[in-house]
Amino acid sequence: MRGLLLSPGRDALLFQSAPAAELALGLSQSVFDRRGSPQEGLLGAPGHSKGWITRIPAPVVYFVDYVTNSIYLEDIVDSITVQDHIYSVQKSGNDTSGLHKLAEKMGELLARMHDEDIIHGDLTTANLLLRPPMEKLDLVLIDFGLSFISGLPEDKGVDLYVLEKAFISTHPDTETMFQALLKAYAATSKKSGPVIKKLDEVRLRGRKRSMIG
Amino acid sequence: MERTHRLELFPDRSVTLLLFQHVKNAAALRKKAMEGSIDGALINPAMIVDPFQILVAANKAVHLQKIGKMKTRTLYAEIIFSLSPSNNISDAFKKFGVSDSDTAVLIVLVVEGDKTVNLADIASQVEGQQVSLDELPQLTDTAKVKKMYKVTPQEEKIGTLLDSVVCRMSTKDVL
Repeated sequence: MRGLLLSPGRDALLFQSAPAAELALGLSQSVFDRRGSPQEGLLGAPGHSKGWITRIPAPVVYFVDYVTNSIYLEDIVDSITVQDHIYSVQKSGNDTSGLHKLAEKMGELLARMHDEDIIHGDLTTANLLLRPPMEKLDLVLIDFGLSFISGLPEDKGVDLYVLEKAFISTHPDTETMFQALLKAYAATSKKSGPVIKKLDEVRLRGRKRSMIG
Repeated sequence: MERTHRLELFPDRSVTLLLFQHVKNAAALRKKAMEGSIDGALINPAMIVDPFQILVAANKAVHLQKIGKMKTRTLYAEIIFSLSPSNNISDAFKKFGVSDSDTAVLIVLVVEGDKTVNLADIASQVEGQQVSLDELPQLTDTAKVKKMYKVTPQEEKIGTLLDSVVCRMSTKDVL
């Protein structure tokens, strides 16, 4: 990753990946354009509106170079990852009520993302950024390399499960935080019922596996 | 008054923007641009939110020119096409190019290396008042831009209009 100045005041990060088209597709699908297949567009697949544009907070795509498979994305200057933020809050021993509010914001954001049928695919606290100033709890999702579109509660449940595992392994003593996240998720998304159910099922599957070894 | 930026990714190119108001000869200018006697892109400033939008278009156009993959025939046509969220070339010209009845014009020049361009010469062909790029926001038709790029109210809560516009410009040929 390299920082590049595309114009005064606009820093860009360069991602080299193959193929850039798929990553850009992931970004464009995730970030703003959700069209089904032409047939779906014409018939209106159940639950999908035709050709509507949506957006979730993610870095702006400045330029896609299909020759070198590079994508130039907005560099959110002075942002920190939620991961680092949680570390520093816990280290300073301060306010955990702030973390509760953060968890709620995360839950709301993920609910909106899943309601658009966008599956992130790699939800960790390192893939969520906080824009300065931190107190605003202005969240940005990054790294959509594994993202895809799906309406299935199973896929959304797994998406949340990945995040839960990331929480457990990276941030000790954050069970209540994740609970707050799920509560906000459930309150924000009208489709959350089946998703939470699937999450429970996936958790059970995971536990069984680790029990048997 | 005009503004010049070097393209960071193509350091041998620089982009100069000139903005004019109270223009009386838009029709003649358009003709001159089509004939090639004005060597620049003539753009309708109402569709431009910020000079950065032009830089993104110019960056893409220069890139495509260098790899021989332009969709239009000239660099300046390609810049205008790159501004558009659609893949229809004539539509791009209609919406982003200057039309005969326009009273404001944004002229974009792309200069190679150390070549000098006679800006005064270009400015003298415009029957209008050259103003600073700082005046651009006054000329932007925000409602038209939102409609053109299909920006939803939802998006406006998340990022700036410029963000939405740039995203659509940069990823329009993906899918």
